[in-house]
Amino acid sequence: MKVLVFIKRVVDYNVRVKVRPDGSGVDTDGVKMSINPFDEIALEEALRMREAGQADEVIVVSAGTSDCQQQLRTGLAMGADRAIQIDTDKPLQPLTAARAFQALVEQQQPGVVLLGKQAIDDDNNQTGQMLAALWGRPQATNAAKIELSGDTARVTREVDAGLEVLDIDLPAVITTDLRLNTPRFVKLPDIMKAKKKPLDVVALDGLVSDAGNDLKIGNWSPPPQRGKGIMVDDVAGLVTELKSRGLL
Amino acid sequence: MQTVDNQYFHQYLPGVEVRLDSASLETYGRDWTHLRAPAPSAVLFPRNTSQVQEIILRARQDGFALVPSGGRTGLSGGAVAADGEWVISLEKMRSLGTVNPTEACIQVEAGVITATLQQAASAAGLFYGVDFASAGSSQVGGNIATNAGGIRVLRYGLTREQVLGMTAVTGAGEVLELNHALIKNATGYDLRHLLIGSEGTLAIITAATLKLWPRPPLRDVMLLAVPDDQAIMALFASARQAMNLSAFEFFSQACVEHVCAHAGLPAPLESPTAFYALLEFDQLDETGLTEWFEQAMEAGWISDGLISQSDEQAKQMWAYRERISESIAARKPYKNDIAVRVSAVPALLAELDELVQQQYPDFEVLWYGHIGDGNLHLNVLKPDEMDLNAFKAQCEQVNELVFAVVQKHSGSISAEHGVGLLKQPWLAYSRSEAEIALMRALKQQFDPDGILNPGKLL
Repeated sequence: MKVLVFIKRVVDYNVRVKVRPDGSGVDTDGVKMSINPFDEIALEEALRMREAGQADEVIVVSAGTSDCQQQLRTGLAMGADRAIQIDTDKPLQPLTAARAFQALVEQQQPGVVLLGKQAIDDDNNQTGQMLAALWGRPQATNAAKIELSGDTARVTREVDAGLEVLDIDLPAVITTDLRLNTPRFVKLPDIMKAKKKPLDVVALDGLVSDAGNDLKIGNWSPPPQRGKGIMVDDVAGLVTELKSRGLL
Repeated sequence: MQTVDNQYFHQYLPGVEVRLDSASLETYGRDWTHLRAPAPSAVLFPRNTSQVQEIILRARQDGFALVPSGGRTGLSGGAVAADGEWVISLEKMRSLGTVNPTEACIQVEAGVITATLQQAASAAGLFYGVDFASAGSSQVGGNIATNAGGIRVLRYGLTREQVLGMTAVTGAGEVLELNHALIKNATGYDLRHLLIGSEGTLAIITAATLKLWPRPPLRDVMLLAVPDDQAIMALFASARQAMNLSAFEFFSQACVEHVCAHAGLPAPLESPTAFYALLEFDQLDETGLTEWFEQAMEAGWISDGLISQSDEQAKQMWAYRERISESIAARKPYKNDIAVRVSAVPALLAELDELVQQQYPDFEVLWYGHIGDGNLHLNVLKPDEMDLNAFKAQCEQVNELVFAVVQKHSGSISAEHGVGLLKQPWLAYSRSEAEIALMRALKQQFDPDGILNPGKLL
């Protein structure tokens, strides 16, 4: 069985993002870029499936400029067998990404498609769901545990009321949540091995004729700055102050 | 000596916040050493330099000793007040000036927390060079008074290298404005440098102007398996040629096991190794990096290695080094913080290893340190069943032997933890008689009545 994992190149989770002064986007100059952490968890899960003998090939895919080959190389160094870059210089909206992924999924015929529940840059939480609908296959989102047996998967999700357990038929799309696993470190010798693994580039236009990337983002702005606080003398002063502002 | 109560402070030091309750006396009378039972007679919280001056003048007049107090994260008892002293806490003096982008510096009061300073620098697109595990509690004044080091000394130097100017009040009660944040100032003795590392025995530092660095480039972290500690210098020499290092740390397998057990972390590598080296460096192109790694593997210096792929992973790797100290805290470790010239480290390691095996056959001994600075932390862990005092007594006996080895290599018995109370009996292993006599003479000039941090350092 093949496992296909989609990963996205995003601003590193530890970076404090800054909006460009002209409001045209987030400043990524000299900023650390990494695999979206949820996608890294998806890749780790795929590698564990292969190590457990449940999958025989792990393919890691990312869409973007050649910059995202850096993250694909990381995926290969972690242990993926081969990589595919969907080449495009435009930021993709979830529906466009899902259409491109669908075309690739139909070419590759994986048994399981794994991706993070959302990307930490735009927080859309849509691509996995859209991909499952377009592909016409089952989906299980926000997986906290995945057990494969034959043609089905049992997926445990953490929901507000407790744990929800889904049994789904494969092939299926599964999106991964934070507590599914802890991704491995990359070993230096594996970086050298990764250089010899295949990395194919396919054009976005070759996968989808109408990319439908129509949503335009008008402007970006940082959250408003927090105002300066005031000091009150005692609890009574605090209560009076809160009341005067209609907060109590 | 007068008894002190609220009435006394009200009368002689109006406007200075005072606490006399037992909880405050206990909290502010000790540092991380828990060396002696805290017993100050008062805790004072000045709001500005002139209040510090008023307190010093009053203490001089009435014969009270003073213990300056910052974040109290010290490891040598420098901030311990156990004899009825007044503790002067600088924690209410935490105003943070704005970053001066032209001069790349910032003026801060002594009570500013190190991490707050770091954040202010990065918010302005610059960088404060000093960092260590206790940055979230330690304060700038304490950093200067102890010349704090930490994990990036290799690149940015000690706190000494960051101080452009300083305000301090001497034990005589004189306010000094030192160096005025000048870069060039060839006008005689630089008293600023005398106060840096003086452990509160000459003056109380109330404010400083600190140097900021350009925002660092993207950095990666490597965690390497080092089978033999005698290879560590060859590895270091080769690494510092191949890359721009900002940290080169060293620790043993036993340290990693303590961290894993304490913090619930997985083992970093598939199979254990005798030692680990952690390297932080400016991002390198992949070819250069892999070539260096292959060469180090072939030379037999390393047997395996990891490289961070994100800042998150860099943090996770740092955790194996940074959390060593907290992971053994419950075992009441006896800490030695020693330094030699970098090239003398392998010899020192070999000699101390032999000594430790002879002298501490039943004790667990941990090695770790900033090896790129020639600095080693030697920690002896107390066996659970052993009495704490008996343990300490035995460690102190062996200390003489350890320090004799350090002395042979012209090293330091306290690399970055200071002397305080803990290392005071052994000062002569690192400083000559003539030096100590000069230090005493200087102390006499700055603090004629000996009221500043008595019993510490000298």
